[in-house]
Amino acid sequence: MTALLSYQTALLVRSQRWLPPFILYAAFLGIGVQGGQPVLDSLGFTAAGLLPVAAWLVRICVTNEPPAARSCVSAAVGPGRAHLAALLVALSVAALVGTVATVVVTLISDPVSADHQTRVPRLPAGAAGLLATLACALLGTAVGALTAWPLLRSTGRAVPAMLLAALLAVVVTGSPAHAAVSGLVTGSRSGTVPLPLLPLAAAALLTAAATAVACALTSRRSP
Amino acid sequence: MIPMQRDLRLDNVGRRYGLRGPWVLRGVHLTVTPGDLIRVEGPNGTGKSTLLRLVAGIDTPTEGRITGRPRTAYVPERFPTALPFTALGYLTHLGKVHGLSRPAAARAALEWLDRFGAAAHARTPMAQLSKGSSQKVAVVQALLAEPELLVLDEAWTGLDAAAREELERAVAERTADGTAVVFVDHDPSRLAGAPDATYTVRDAGLDLRAERAAAQPVGPLMTVVVQGTRGAQLPADAARTVISAEEPEPGTHRVTLPASHSDVLLRALLTARPPWHVVSVSQDPPATEPRPTPDTESRR
Repeated sequence: MTALLSYQTALLVRSQRWLPPFILYAAFLGIGVQGGQPVLDSLGFTAAGLLPVAAWLVRICVTNEPPAARSCVSAAVGPGRAHLAALLVALSVAALVGTVATVVVTLISDPVSADHQTRVPRLPAGAAGLLATLACALLGTAVGALTAWPLLRSTGRAVPAMLLAALLAVVVTGSPAHAAVSGLVTGSRSGTVPLPLLPLAAAALLTAAATAVACALTSRRSP
Repeated sequence: MIPMQRDLRLDNVGRRYGLRGPWVLRGVHLTVTPGDLIRVEGPNGTGKSTLLRLVAGIDTPTEGRITGRPRTAYVPERFPTALPFTALGYLTHLGKVHGLSRPAAARAALEWLDRFGAAAHARTPMAQLSKGSSQKVAVVQALLAEPELLVLDEAWTGLDAAAREELERAVAERTADGTAVVFVDHDPSRLAGAPDATYTVRDAGLDLRAERAAAQPVGPLMTVVVQGTRGAQLPADAARTVISAEEPEPGTHRVTLPASHSDVLLRALLTARPPWHVVSVSQDPPATEPRPTPDTESRR
């Protein structure tokens, strides 16, 4: 599996297709997050913005390899494992980017509540933000896995489906990502730091299920 | 290397794409034993590639079962160059995926590229490789980790003449080492006389067309004259692909076999205990008359 992960990582890094989602995320944060704003609000923004980035990264990783090259790897390790490696690399990169963004945002934001009256300790706020970010990275991976090959093959359908699903995953009540982000925002209003463990666990479960479905289908759909 | 423990078995295997698509293959039974060389034939679009994808484990059968998966390598018909690596970089990654360490993968990759006359392209970005060179890369990725099952889907297409012969010799070597090889090729003289079995894909089914004994060689042949100790018999595993053998005088054997397999026979004879003495090796002119069709499966 290590060899597969390093192969998929090299494919992603060298393809340079990771650049657009990164630039978009940086622009999104540049517009929405400024130094001196309440820390929990900014962290909620950071987490929510990561979800479509993770979905996009999954799409890149899954479509990076030409079908014939994918067949060679699939014969060697099994098509399910080959697909799993692509999803894991996308998730890891999204989680890494989210972690860096969370640390930076935690450091440049003001450790206060939304009304600037209550002090919000920086470290617990950062930890809460990290959990929410991871929940969004996970759910974004699930969205990407369910809206790319082998589930959706034509780009014309897959990309709008991915964008819509990513949007819904952030805004629809009941989604773990929505729960994690709104937890941070309401926490900012009340001046208390939430601990979004439940949304994180729910996101992990959903992502595991989505990954299992996608990996199981790889050998059943046409290339 | 350790030969695979069990046979790969396809039991009543069927495959179709989509929920209501037509059956591409149905009711296929196939057993692949270590060291087997199996040829699959059939007109275009009859499901040869689908069968090979099932054998390689890339696709799962819609019905039926496949058991006994060995360590598998696959060569597709057309290999893409749209990979952001050099040839050596890609092959090192694939060697690791096949289970080699990084240095072993790089070493094997260079060695095999050299055998196929592509050593000069080792540091060339894949995107700049010609079609033939990228096909060599596809072949090398499959051979470098000494798989237990090698699946070749028109792997010879696009290779130059020297590389085509080298791939035939590599297949002969691998099967002699216990690797099972399943291949499709449009050229009827490809490894002629060597396959243990030839199957035809027809009407979504698989027919056994010919066992080894019935196959008529049409490719280039080699005649090897060797001397052994009095009464010595040719080693059984090396003699598998022999087309004709005679003993003009006691201890001297004149053996005719497909050119692709002559190295394997010579290696076996020279490393036998006691070793044989090689008197002469000569290439026969390839048969020019059309081969008598060994059976009429396709004409019925």
